[in-house]
Amino acid sequence: MDTRSPTGPVAVALAAAGGMTVLGMALSGAGLRRSGRRVAARANAVVGAADRRTAVTAARRLNRASGTLAASVLFDSAVEHYRGGFHNKAMYTPLVAATLSLLVSAHGHRDRGHDAELARDLVYAGAGLAGLLGTGFHVFNVGKKPGGFGWQNLFYSAPLGAPAALCLSGLLGWLSERVRDNAPDTAPLVLGIPAGRVVGAATAAGIIGTVAEAGLLHLRGQFHDPFMLLPVTVPPVAAGFCAAAAFGGAGRPRPLARWMLRASAVIGLSGSAFHAIGVARSMGGWRNWRQNLLDGPPLPAPPAFTGLALAGLAALSLLEDQPE
Amino acid sequence: MYADEPMRPRTMQGRAPDVFTRGGWIPMQLRSDGEEVDFVVIGTGAGGGPLTARLAEKGFSVVAFDAGPYFRPLEEFASDEASQSKLFWTDERIVDGANPLKMGANNSGKAVGGSTVHFAMVSLRFRPEWFRSRTLLGYGADWPLDWREMWTYYAQAEQDLSISGPLSYPWGPKRPRYPYRAHEVNAAGLLLAKGAEAMGYRWSPTPLATVSAPRGNSPPCVYRGFCRVGCSTNAKQSQLVTYIPRAVRAGAEIRDLAMVGRIEVDATGRATGVHYHRDGVWRFQRARNVVVAGYAIETPRLLLNSATDRFPDGLANSSGLVGRYLMTQSNQAVWGEMEEEVRWNKGPPSLALTEHWNYDDRKDFFGGYCWMGQGPLPIEWSSVLTGARGLWGEALRRQMENYNHQIGLKMVGEMLPHLDNRVTLSEEHDQYGLPIPRITYSWTDNDKALIDHGLAQMRTSLELVGARNIFLQKDDTNHLAGTARMGFSRETSVVDADCRSWDIPNLFVCDGSVFPTTGGVNPHLTITAIALRTADRIEALAKRGEL
Repeated sequence: MDTRSPTGPVAVALAAAGGMTVLGMALSGAGLRRSGRRVAARANAVVGAADRRTAVTAARRLNRASGTLAASVLFDSAVEHYRGGFHNKAMYTPLVAATLSLLVSAHGHRDRGHDAELARDLVYAGAGLAGLLGTGFHVFNVGKKPGGFGWQNLFYSAPLGAPAALCLSGLLGWLSERVRDNAPDTAPLVLGIPAGRVVGAATAAGIIGTVAEAGLLHLRGQFHDPFMLLPVTVPPVAAGFCAAAAFGGAGRPRPLARWMLRASAVIGLSGSAFHAIGVARSMGGWRNWRQNLLDGPPLPAPPAFTGLALAGLAALSLLEDQPE
Repeated sequence: MYADEPMRPRTMQGRAPDVFTRGGWIPMQLRSDGEEVDFVVIGTGAGGGPLTARLAEKGFSVVAFDAGPYFRPLEEFASDEASQSKLFWTDERIVDGANPLKMGANNSGKAVGGSTVHFAMVSLRFRPEWFRSRTLLGYGADWPLDWREMWTYYAQAEQDLSISGPLSYPWGPKRPRYPYRAHEVNAAGLLLAKGAEAMGYRWSPTPLATVSAPRGNSPPCVYRGFCRVGCSTNAKQSQLVTYIPRAVRAGAEIRDLAMVGRIEVDATGRATGVHYHRDGVWRFQRARNVVVAGYAIETPRLLLNSATDRFPDGLANSSGLVGRYLMTQSNQAVWGEMEEEVRWNKGPPSLALTEHWNYDDRKDFFGGYCWMGQGPLPIEWSSVLTGARGLWGEALRRQMENYNHQIGLKMVGEMLPHLDNRVTLSEEHDQYGLPIPRITYSWTDNDKALIDHGLAQMRTSLELVGARNIFLQKDDTNHLAGTARMGFSRETSVVDADCRSWDIPNLFVCDGSVFPTTGGVNPHLTITAIALRTADRIEALAKRGEL
């Protein structure tokens, strides 16, 4: 007899969240063929000259991606560092950096202009730097514990991959400024390379890093619920398509890549719902939220996938508009 | 329901408490006394629990008896050491010998689920050589079990109990990955780790029977630290939340507050049922087979008390070994104090261990031992301070104020089986009118050498992490074993490898009392593995018509 599956309201909630997720992933593939044809037609119409509006649209999309990641980092680091009692003052850094990144991302989202803003650039660069420093701190903290870089410390000590999300927020924001800041009637370039390729490659790498983090922590939780496999199966496929687009031919529709990225975005959002059910499964459930929000699965972490998926979709738009 | 209130059986109306919901029930099949059930199992702990579940799942009709109550952990387990002593078997015992055992707390349990309801959840495998310690290591007795077969049953037990352990365990042959990840190690465990690393020994997060992630309706452990007086969240994978609900769902009946006093044997020398005391009256349950799973005191007590004209020395006792070769494990400790705060009571008490001296044979005594980090609750700690350290009054009060700075290491050491360490029946009688067991125990010279070695090693470990005010607790013992040992022949043992008595073919013993040697690790997982094997063996015997 199997006594490993929960019963009662938890079982119902898991089934509902699972059903909604699968439905959302399926629906996110709808309409792709149609939009694919449209993109192809548009690309054929403007051979040789990128649409400047596309660059701004993509840049704003990257602002949203950066902002989503910043929000995820802000709430996640707030919860986790509160749990750690802010015993080191440096633990406030990601809260400040992520808040600023979130604010300038909102600003960028509202900005339909064609020029980079110095303030946004500075904040994004600062966020990237803070993420790098945070990674250094976390590596140092793990290394000095008994057991070093063994599984036990990778599971329970300062998470090595978490500050990288702040890096990604800064990086995507900085890229959004570069995409935005291009001369009229030229293809957007970043450091001389077509912007779509740079954003696509960065996104693919970011997704793989985030998958590693989710995989590590879900392994710590023994993948005790089958839906815990979603973030380590679908996003890697999306990352693969994203990388293929970044390094492959431009100027053509990529419906499968779009679908997988949208599905990853859905998983990012439904992940928070699943984690909310996880909180309910802790002793005392949501009635004991002050403890279980800290010790249960992190609600703000999964939307990092949504942020990265948005960046991937921006990359695809840029690549589709980019002349061969 | 509290210990001071009169307790009535809960499972008399065709339902059993649902331990996962407040006030909830699960349906349970009832059997009448007159029905000759396939199996009666006496005791529902680490041996009786899995055996009852597996036999029921294999289609046998089973009635399991436990002398203790069927508790509801969510409602009845308090964060209160004194109140939770209701989980212990505190009936009167007479203890003697050179080193009388202290009975009634960690070495006993009177509840459905037995002592697994309050055990420290440490779930370790035997070192393979211990199953042939006479042949390979030169002491004790060989087991009639092959370690490779046991390895598969250990794996099954670990799966069923969702043991949370490290991804790779540093000692012994390869084993499958533990079903759940090891828990975060608390400060007390990290100090053990630091000490072990300073001594050049490996250490490991301890494989524990408490889940580190949700499992069914069990929430993950919240590190409340009251494990050894009952888990009030059901994170602990005791029999009460694992095999017992499985058994009930598979059609077994659990009779709580039912004390079996005597096994009936007919003229042909077969067991026919058991006399049990429940709700104020003595009753008789008919059965085709009887399994005794009462642990190392109650099992021999029941066998001895069931003597008949045909079996004047007690049942299954033609060898004269029932009650003999009683073993405990040395549980000595070294305690100290750290400058920094440790808060050792946070989390399960034994989150880290080293099995170094179970696998290193460069020593001048037989047997092995491990040691673990500690986290005694305040009352238990004050009893250590008054007992082992002799503090009282103002000195005790001042020392108790340092509670959050204390650390300690405690060994689980292998004591050797000795014929004269035994359980017998005294002339006095208890509240059921049954003879009170007399428990005689003396340490051997080898036991003393092992203890001295362990104390010196643990002391070094504490010194190396900078502990101050170090003192030794030299007298503690814990788990029991022996008294109905399994073996290769009817002359030298009480039961065979299938836990079946040599004398009475339909009488089995399935608990820690079948151990020929006790090893240097906590016995619970080995008892469970033996029970799982016994269930499979019984099924095989039944299929061949040999039951």
